[in-house]
Amino acid sequence: MTQSARIHVRVAEIEPLNATLRRITLQHAEGALLPASAPGAHIQIELRGDTRSWRNAYSLVSPPGTRTAYSIIVRKVPQGRGGSLYLHERLAVGQTLTILPPVNLFPIAGLARKHLMLAAGIGVTPFLSTRAALAETPFELHLRCHAADQPAFQTLLAPWPHAHIHAGPDFNPTDLLRHQPLGTHLYLCGPTGFMQAAEAAARTLGWPAARIHQEHFGAPTGGRAFDAVLARTGRTIHVAQDQTLLEALEAADIDAPSLCRGGACGECRLPLLAGTPDHRDHFLSESEHATSIMPCVSRSHAETITIDI
Amino acid sequence: MDQGIKSRPRYQPFRIDPAGTQHLIVTDQPSPPPGISGAAELWTIAPHPGGQSFPTPAALLASLPGHLARQGPGFRLYAIGTEPFIWDVAYIATHAGLTEGELFLHHAGSLARRVHCIHCKTNTDRVTTNIVTCAGCGANLLVRDHFSRRLRAFMGVQVDAETPGILPPIETLYP
Ligand code: FES
Repeated sequence: MTQSARIHVRVAEIEPLNATLRRITLQHAEGALLPASAPGAHIQIELRGDTRSWRNAYSLVSPPGTRTAYSIIVRKVPQGRGGSLYLHERLAVGQTLTILPPVNLFPIAGLARKHLMLAAGIGVTPFLSTRAALAETPFELHLRCHAADQPAFQTLLAPWPHAHIHAGPDFNPTDLLRHQPLGTHLYLCGPTGFMQAAEAAARTLGWPAARIHQEHFGAPTGGRAFDAVLARTGRTIHVAQDQTLLEALEAADIDAPSLCRGGACGECRLPLLAGTPDHRDHFLSESEHATSIMPCVSRSHAETITIDI
Repeated sequence: MDQGIKSRPRYQPFRIDPAGTQHLIVTDQPSPPPGISGAAELWTIAPHPGGQSFPTPAALLASLPGHLARQGPGFRLYAIGTEPFIWDVAYIATHAGLTEGELFLHHAGSLARRVHCIHCKTNTDRVTTNIVTCAGCGANLLVRDHFSRRLRAFMGVQVDAETPGILPPIETLYP
């Protein structure tokens, strides 16, 4: 994404949904219309703290096509890399931010006979904007969440007559996955462990890959610090513990492409020249891991890594 | 005659997809291919031990939608036979919601083609020659290698439009 695609927005409203969830509404800083978004789309938000900046991806929860404002829901993650803490503790109404226009990596399958949506926690957000797009097709949404979040999610899911909220950890989707009509499409969004378990259960029951859709919302977790050698210029950049390689590239003003920032879309792929990579993506195959790295999530086990950029 | 057209469907050799949990094989051939395990259900035209048999391919096809409506994830459908038959199966299966990875087509038996007249839109079945008289409008059609998945047929184009009655030699190309 290039500089020119950035949009300046102003924080129009901040609404707490509970102790750790808040809805943030953004409007165009100059009062212009925002680009129309598709159901399931997300935006990237750039945040500048005192010592570092972040770029995080958030699903739009405003109705698709709304051009006067975008809304997102942010969960406060105290042990995260700081972006969500910034949005919870520092952000104020009236402040301006930059965003990248909406992108949809999670489209609803047009030919589906039925949609089965399984979400965990804040992973429900990409589904919230899809309600109208489902039209006449039958659907079923199941959300696993902490008991403390149940009231907030219940309110958000009020327009979803077929939503089932499972408060607590013991939601097992296997029976649901077994009893679905032919032509059902499955959509998963939530923490990696949740999605992996649901996908494995579906594959064991014979669901073909073409009917399983996953949204890996960007939740890179950080790790040990390392240096990245950029082979084209010979420059070395430092990647801090709580920073991703992609963020370090962006902080060094290197125009690195990205879309999902969650290791799923393939957009940020870079050739890997040397080092011991710590691959955390869901996109590359085993064999591709020898020669490529996804800098939005993956890191280095060793002190330095060399990439072709 | 290689017409150099690359829209002819290609078929993989038959094999049971190990990722499936429920398998149905349907065929219009007298004997199903070797290597069919007992784990698969078999529908045939000619009676076959352990299989369900139907008097005609049309009767088999007519029973398919009701059967598909009762299936769920893990179901795999394999169609083995002539091109008109397997593409009829594909049409029914797609309408029942089957998608890539759940439906497998394998060509077996006669190469005879179903030919769709691009002039009168009639289909002529069991065409084995390079040129055929359209069952609808009577035009002399050149059978092209262009297969339409939507129409489930090969395209037939009038061959003597400029020079009525003057035809290239007729050969059996699709025995
Ligand atoms: S931005 Fe999508 S995989 Fe990295």
